[in-house]
Amino acid sequence: MNTLRVVFVGGLTSYRALFNWISPWIFIPHTLGYPVFEILFFVYLGRFAGVESDRFFLIGNAFLAIAVTGMFGMGHATAGERRSQTLAALLASPANRFAVFLGRALPSIVTGFFVATISFAICAAILGVHVNLSSLPGLVTATAAAAFSCTALGLCLGALGLRGRNVSVFADVIAACMLLVSGANVPLEKLPGWLQTIASGIPLTHGIEAARGIANGASIAATSDLLLKELAIGGVYLAVGLLMLRLFEYDGRRTGSLETF
Amino acid sequence: MIPAILTGVRLHMKQASRNPFDLSGVIVWPILYASIAYYLLDAKNEPRLLLSASLGAAVMLMWSMVVIASSGALEQQRWQGTLELVVAAPTPLTAVIGPICIAGALVGAYAIGATLIWGALLFDVPVRVEQPLAFAVAIPACALAIGMLGLIMAATFVLYRASFHLGIAMQYPVWIVSGLLVPISFLPSFVRPLSWVLAPTWGFRAIQEAALGGTPWPDIGMCLVLSLVYLAIGGSCLIAFEYIARARGSLRLT
Repeated sequence: MNTLRVVFVGGLTSYRALFNWISPWIFIPHTLGYPVFEILFFVYLGRFAGVESDRFFLIGNAFLAIAVTGMFGMGHATAGERRSQTLAALLASPANRFAVFLGRALPSIVTGFFVATISFAICAAILGVHVNLSSLPGLVTATAAAAFSCTALGLCLGALGLRGRNVSVFADVIAACMLLVSGANVPLEKLPGWLQTIASGIPLTHGIEAARGIANGASIAATSDLLLKELAIGGVYLAVGLLMLRLFEYDGRRTGSLETF
Repeated sequence: MIPAILTGVRLHMKQASRNPFDLSGVIVWPILYASIAYYLLDAKNEPRLLLSASLGAAVMLMWSMVVIASSGALEQQRWQGTLELVVAAPTPLTAVIGPICIAGALVGAYAIGATLIWGALLFDVPVRVEQPLAFAVAIPACALAIGMLGLIMAATFVLYRASFHLGIAMQYPVWIVSGLLVPISFLPSFVRPLSWVLAPTWGFRAIQEAALGGTPWPDIGMCLVLSLVYLAIGGSCLIAFEYIARARGSLRLT
């Protein structure tokens, strides 16, 4: 019960701290404008190259929008605490670490989900892409699986934030790599073999593939193997992230590096 | 004022070039965008198109560096409590913030080397510059024009605490409208007039024409004209927004 309280009360406080100060004139362009223009950018690039359909890029990039928020939310949780010099105080508390950082990531994940949904709807309307209403439950399932695996990867990045001072740039680079490797923008068969191997072991790849299948009329059952792979990959990153969190917290305490910025 | 600008550019370039972690972003981002373009455009089997994509990806990063690095630098000054001192100093704010933007664009110019080498080594993109002199002039002209466009954005960064987020949000719209990877002719017709007033459009054209062979000098001239226009607009906005920020007492808010 206490863990749940830490997750949700911490999440609510974190949400208010994150967005209360921001002006709507910046909040809306930042949260909504970025994914909408990202989708449009890659759709036009695809049209120019004559590769794949608008739907291919629409789904891939809408998924990326969710992934990035989950990953960044978790990744920035420790970086934010370090920056505001509260990391040491936070880690001195007896609260469950995973609950503490998940609470901080939760607002980003929820916001990301809504942002991606609205961006998807706006871009589908602009581009004239039609998605059957019957495929929506499947798309939501695939989205949830991808959000879970990306948040788990974010936990690994957040753990790195206990050790390194500049994890944000690293998170940026990982997000950029996902643009290429996850299959969001480049069909996987166009990538070299070694990149395809990496793609099969990162979050998002299978989730996007499942979502594209569902949007094209496949059932959830028909894509269940892809969804299970996505969840399994998320599970592995979650386990690694928790281990890293424990190791780096111990190391940070030992070297007294938790307050360096 | 000119020594302040030159010292500022040198200082901020040094600062941005010292952190290998930050520099890795300068190298990796354009390489990834260029790679996406290579994989997608490869089907067209036009080597010149791939070279153009390399340059486009590099100019994309120049713009990103201007909006992200300059907004980041101002945000950093807020956090360190030095923004008020900068505003209170007798040096005009334009001479302090302008160099941050120009230095960002110049550091972003590293990306041209990165994408050309990457393209040549991994994708057999032919690296042959038809007009080396024009190419050498086009890069700083492009950096100057993009930096000055950033000055207009930077005026809002002084006003708003969330400047960094605004900087991030401004990347894709400018990339699209400037025709850096996708030709403007592929975009809706209402986008074209917008592209004419944006520095990356002319900066990219100047670099592209110099590399592929064409008439880069009019585009370089356009970069210089736009730089002056942006300086006038950005300088005026900075004076106005600085006044508002002082009146609201919001300079110190983090």
